[in-house]
Amino acid sequence: MTSSPVLTSTPAQIVQSFLDDFARHDVKAAVAAADPQVTVTVHPLGLHATGTEVLNEVLTDLVRAFPDLMISVSRVIATGDVVTALFKAEGTQAAAYAGAINQEKHLDIDQAWRFTVTGGLITEISAYWCQAQLYRRLAVKRYDEIAIA
Amino acid sequence: MTEVSTPPRTAESAAAVVTEFFDRYRAHDVEGMTDLCSINAAFSYVPVELWGKQRVLRGDGKVRTIGKPLWTGLIASFPDLSNTVHSVTSNDDGDVVVQADIEGTQQLAWGLVVPAGKHYREPHLFVFHVDGDLLIDAITAYWNDGGISQQLGHNEVD
Repeated sequence: MTSSPVLTSTPAQIVQSFLDDFARHDVKAAVAAADPQVTVTVHPLGLHATGTEVLNEVLTDLVRAFPDLMISVSRVIATGDVVTALFKAEGTQAAAYAGAINQEKHLDIDQAWRFTVTGGLITEISAYWCQAQLYRRLAVKRYDEIAIA
Repeated sequence: MTEVSTPPRTAESAAAVVTEFFDRYRAHDVEGMTDLCSINAAFSYVPVELWGKQRVLRGDGKVRTIGKPLWTGLIASFPDLSNTVHSVTSNDDGDVVVQADIEGTQQLAWGLVVPAGKHYREPHLFVFHVDGDLLIDAITAYWNDGGISQQLGHNEVD
């Protein structure tokens, strides 16, 4: 009898694999690492929802808006079933994102994503970054007029 | 000869140090917070960046030179500053990750935000490292500063 490779992977390995897939813009593969009822919280977007469709949308929006998106992971910290990844996301805007119109600006944002892994699948994701830094880089002037350049 | 021994660092003891840090923060005991950190503890508040005409000031440096003045200033501007810790996870290497809300009501200027008596509450993620002497030797924090600005009524993206 052979054991499932997923179940023999550590939480850190599962999250690293997710990040590798995301860095390759392979959203489908990244989402496959998540439980169907994964809880997704993206604090800067005010998003708190459940399900892989939501996760798919979060990742797809980023890849669509920044087609040259580069994910540079600096640390993956395992604390039991919780894994925290620190990384920089860089890219050039090519489509609207989070209400900001495309002005072809370059983005570089340090982020922290906290994952919970249960039974070989990602069951919770909480993403932290600073929307002020994001809007500053995308040349947004006001929070109450995000779409006006 | 008297020997002073430090209990061994474990996931639990590292988490206890960080829990005490947040207790002291809630009590506005900045000296006590600093005492829990090593003399050269690293500090990085990632969202802190002030863009000038020729340079950008960042919230990076040491606890004693950047962190302590920043905490003192925050408490001065938000006299009811408080925190609610939602989760603390740790490992035997001294890594401690904390999800906490920080909140307060503005009474004095904070950066470019003029005081309007408004209240903010914002989720934060803190990443600590606790050394073998059970002192915090690194603090990194992430949050959405834009959320704080908007809650305080400051709509400019500075």
